[in-house]
Amino acid sequence: MTEKALPHEWTLSPERGSLTLIKFGVRTALRLGRSRARLFLYPICFYFLLSSAGARRASRAYLARALGRRPLVSDIFRHFLTFASCLLDRVFLLNERTDDYDIRAEGEEILQGIEAAGGGCLLFGAHFGSFEVARATGRRRAELQISLLMYEENAKKVRDALAAVNPRLAAEVIGLGQLDSMIIVAERLRRGHFIGLLADRHFEGKNLARHEFLGAPAAFPRGPFQLAAMLRRPVVMMFGVYRGGNHYDLVFETLAPALETRPADVEAWVDEVMRRYVERLEHYCREAPFNWFNFYDFWR
Amino acid sequence: MDAFNQQQTPQETELARLIAVTLNLEVVAAEIDPLAPLYGEGLGLDSIDMLEIALAVSQQYGVKLRADDKNNREIFSSLRALNGFIQAELAG
Repeated sequence: MTEKALPHEWTLSPERGSLTLIKFGVRTALRLGRSRARLFLYPICFYFLLSSAGARRASRAYLARALGRRPLVSDIFRHFLTFASCLLDRVFLLNERTDDYDIRAEGEEILQGIEAAGGGCLLFGAHFGSFEVARATGRRRAELQISLLMYEENAKKVRDALAAVNPRLAAEVIGLGQLDSMIIVAERLRRGHFIGLLADRHFEGKNLARHEFLGAPAAFPRGPFQLAAMLRRPVVMMFGVYRGGNHYDLVFETLAPALETRPADVEAWVDEVMRRYVERLEHYCREAPFNWFNFYDFWR
Repeated sequence: MDAFNQQQTPQETELARLIAVTLNLEVVAAEIDPLAPLYGEGLGLDSIDMLEIALAVSQQYGVKLRADDKNNREIFSSLRALNGFIQAELAG
């Protein structure tokens, strides 16, 4: 499936809003402050609940699996509201206003170990909760450098959006699909950077593997895992789970340790690490169901 | 095919073999057009393949390829360009 086929499913995505609107929204939010800006989320989400049938359907289908029961309209509203809350918080977090948040980190010693050993690692997230919480936390420790790897079409939009929110951050985005994208990744890892990417979504519809996810097989991209096999750096799963109010839980789990040599059977290694990733993703979907932010038919 | 053979220099053939073996390509190394693009439409290689080539080249020749090098696209544009870069680095 191409990205073009998804537009209506992406209307809730920040990457799709016009830049002027983003700038206006960011300025307004920062001026109002978090608690007053949050009041606007209710009418906005209500509007989306009424107007965005595609997102509503996707939410219902997902929630039925994650909650294990028929979702109510209030569940879908809560799903939208959680997404909107994370988006709004992103504005504040990107502007380094982390003091207002209660962020608890779990498994941070994994990162400290990697930092001490040197050589960086891969951080695998998902469209789940807030990746931004982790980045903001990382930036509090000035020496830790995080780059984000994403599809070039998105990279351009995200770079522009980041430049609008906080210009210093734009350079941290690496676009895929350039001749030297991976050479840049390898080089930054060597210098000890952490490279973040979201390993749950794909665009081209090729090089996929289906894994059992919340009761039915869903397609996940193999690319990130093949990259990990080649780079041989530790793979750490990272989610910023929104718990309501101003509370986030930042969780880190090792998916694969650093490798001395390339795996003898790369395909088997890829399958195994993918399976672990999907399993942990499923675990968090059941545990914090409203944090899932893929508003399209994920099991297509 | 003969035309291709004549076009590759011995050094280029050696590099072509390294690339073909590294990436497990189904083409015969000696048949790789030294002027065709390596990335994208030419040999159909993607950015992960390019990293594999960069790693293999640095291992085989001791030549370091840098990420911040603005010339990466030039260097990797073809077999001939890559070989030219390696030889220049070895000479320098």
